[in-house]
Amino acid sequence: MGRAFHLARLELKRYFADRADLAFGIALPIVLFAVMTGALGENAGFRATMHVADLDGGPLAHRILGQVNDSESISVRRYTRDELADALRRTAILTGFVIPPGFSASIESGIPASIVVEQRGSGGDEGQIVVGVVREAARKAVSAIELRRAIGVLAGDSAGDERVDEVVQQLLTEAHHHPSVEVVTDPMHVPEASELDRLLAGIVVMFLLFSATLSARALIAERRSGTLERLVTTQLSPGELFIGKFLGGVGRAMVQSFLLLGLAFAVLGVAGPLAFAQCLILALVVAATVTSVGLVVAALARTDEQAAFSAVLVTMIMSVFGGTFFPTAGAGWLEVLSRFSLNTYAVDAFMGLFSGTGRLADQELELAVLGGVAITGLVIARTMFRVSSSPLQS
Amino acid sequence: MDTYLQAEALAKRFDGVAAVDGISFVIRTKEIFGLLGPNGAGKTTTIRMLSTILAPDAGDVRIGGHSVIHERDEVRKRIGVCPQELALYPELSAFDNLVFFGRMTGLSGRAAKARARAVLAEVGLEDRGGETVKKYSGGMKRRVNIAIALMNRPELLFLDEPTVGIDPQSRNKIFETVLGLRDEGTTVLYTTHYMEEADRLCDRIGIMDRGRIIAVGTPAELKRQVGDPARTTLEEVFLRLTGRKLRD
Repeated sequence: MGRAFHLARLELKRYFADRADLAFGIALPIVLFAVMTGALGENAGFRATMHVADLDGGPLAHRILGQVNDSESISVRRYTRDELADALRRTAILTGFVIPPGFSASIESGIPASIVVEQRGSGGDEGQIVVGVVREAARKAVSAIELRRAIGVLAGDSAGDERVDEVVQQLLTEAHHHPSVEVVTDPMHVPEASELDRLLAGIVVMFLLFSATLSARALIAERRSGTLERLVTTQLSPGELFIGKFLGGVGRAMVQSFLLLGLAFAVLGVAGPLAFAQCLILALVVAATVTSVGLVVAALARTDEQAAFSAVLVTMIMSVFGGTFFPTAGAGWLEVLSRFSLNTYAVDAFMGLFSGTGRLADQELELAVLGGVAITGLVIARTMFRVSSSPLQS
Repeated sequence: MDTYLQAEALAKRFDGVAAVDGISFVIRTKEIFGLLGPNGAGKTTTIRMLSTILAPDAGDVRIGGHSVIHERDEVRKRIGVCPQELALYPELSAFDNLVFFGRMTGLSGRAAKARARAVLAEVGLEDRGGETVKKYSGGMKRRVNIAIALMNRPELLFLDEPTVGIDPQSRNKIFETVLGLRDEGTTVLYTTHYMEEADRLCDRIGIMDRGRIIAVGTPAELKRQVGDPARTTLEEVFLRLTGRKLRD
């Protein structure tokens, strides 16, 4: 086994000597981190915009838009009718609102009127949320008018307008302070996994997998150059050679993990030292998993080109379906597919640790799946491991 | 002279085609044995079987009295292999390459470093051993390729076309190294396409064609088979025995 460790150490030495490998495996994800943090760091919560063409300009329209604008997460952006149509046509926005001319006057007169929602497809998640908020704001604004009208009808001509306004105002104030039905939020007092946590976890896992699978090319180059054959003419057995390559791959992935996770924890201040330690343990499991996948690629591919193609294919499929860039929970068939991606389990586990919402001991399913993939990959890779393009004695 | 390597009815087939077709030959202790043949003759397959990389379909080889089939580890302790390709790590220094391969042959760290320094001197790279191999010229890389095979002080050294594509100075240095090794007691199996090289270096030569050994002898003996040894070149002997038809 000593020789296997020497081989693993050599692999690390070669990793540090290869600037292109270092740039790809470490510098590129760091740049991506920085970009993602800049884009999401300060705006991790929900933000949306109501894109509206107010062709009415009346007091009721003004009140509705004011209420929407006063909400914490939605701002109002005004357009002309043509601008709104153009923005929708260009897919610059997915949902637009048109308040038609005479809208306020119609409602004041008791004639029903509509705010028109124009959208591309379903309008997107953001658009659907904004529609709900606008509907609530409109209902609220109109209810005051309807209430005043109802009281006026009940009181008849005996009550003056001022008295009716006064009663309406009292009722509205009462309803505001003591609503009949209230939706009460009861937040769990634990940190929340943010979109940034997901992206950080996703990028770490994606680059670990990419580096591990791309390193299959180096193994194929060694096979082609006769280096592996030469090694088995020494005292190194093919089994030790395989273990050495595996340990070397795990070592490389751990160097990558340590630097990327260290950066995430130090610079971005996610979670704490305990979470960092747990992340490193998880990284070891992920490193074993991606290395075994890389060895399978090296065992199956016969040329550099096949290895590079397989590396890109495996990494892209695993990353896209593995929730690297967007959550797959509740996404129908995408969620089903995501269960077949090892990235799903790695990203979920890392995300929990990043945000401090989970402990490593709670990630039983994720660890079991990753460990299972690692063992299965190793068995397949060892069975198919070749030091030469010709059949050899083992 | 004692026999150091004895091949008996050695055979290997690939996809039903005989790459090596039941060859038998001996290599004597402390001789340089040249194995010549056109492309596809079976030289490299033979070397891969002799050096324990490839299992023979039939026959056996004894090296230093040990079977390549049944006593592989004993054989591996006694051989050094320098393949045709540059089988090394170009991103590392020559010294690091040598130390690594030395460790793989069972040397301790200290012994491997000491041996690496000695071997670098032997191939004329003692002043450049710390540089990464990828910065080396073709001739220097070839010398490192040979140096790796010397790390375990092999009793039998396989050199498979060690002088391909290098300048006369590097080639000459390799000749000096090989002759020096022979003088120190190392047995060498040497393949090459350069006939004058074989003529100059080899004590005996085996000519292979279509998986068989068709002639064995000293250069002078082989020349005598086709004419006056003083006026015949080894290339003429080779072409007479293997024909002039292109092989690839």
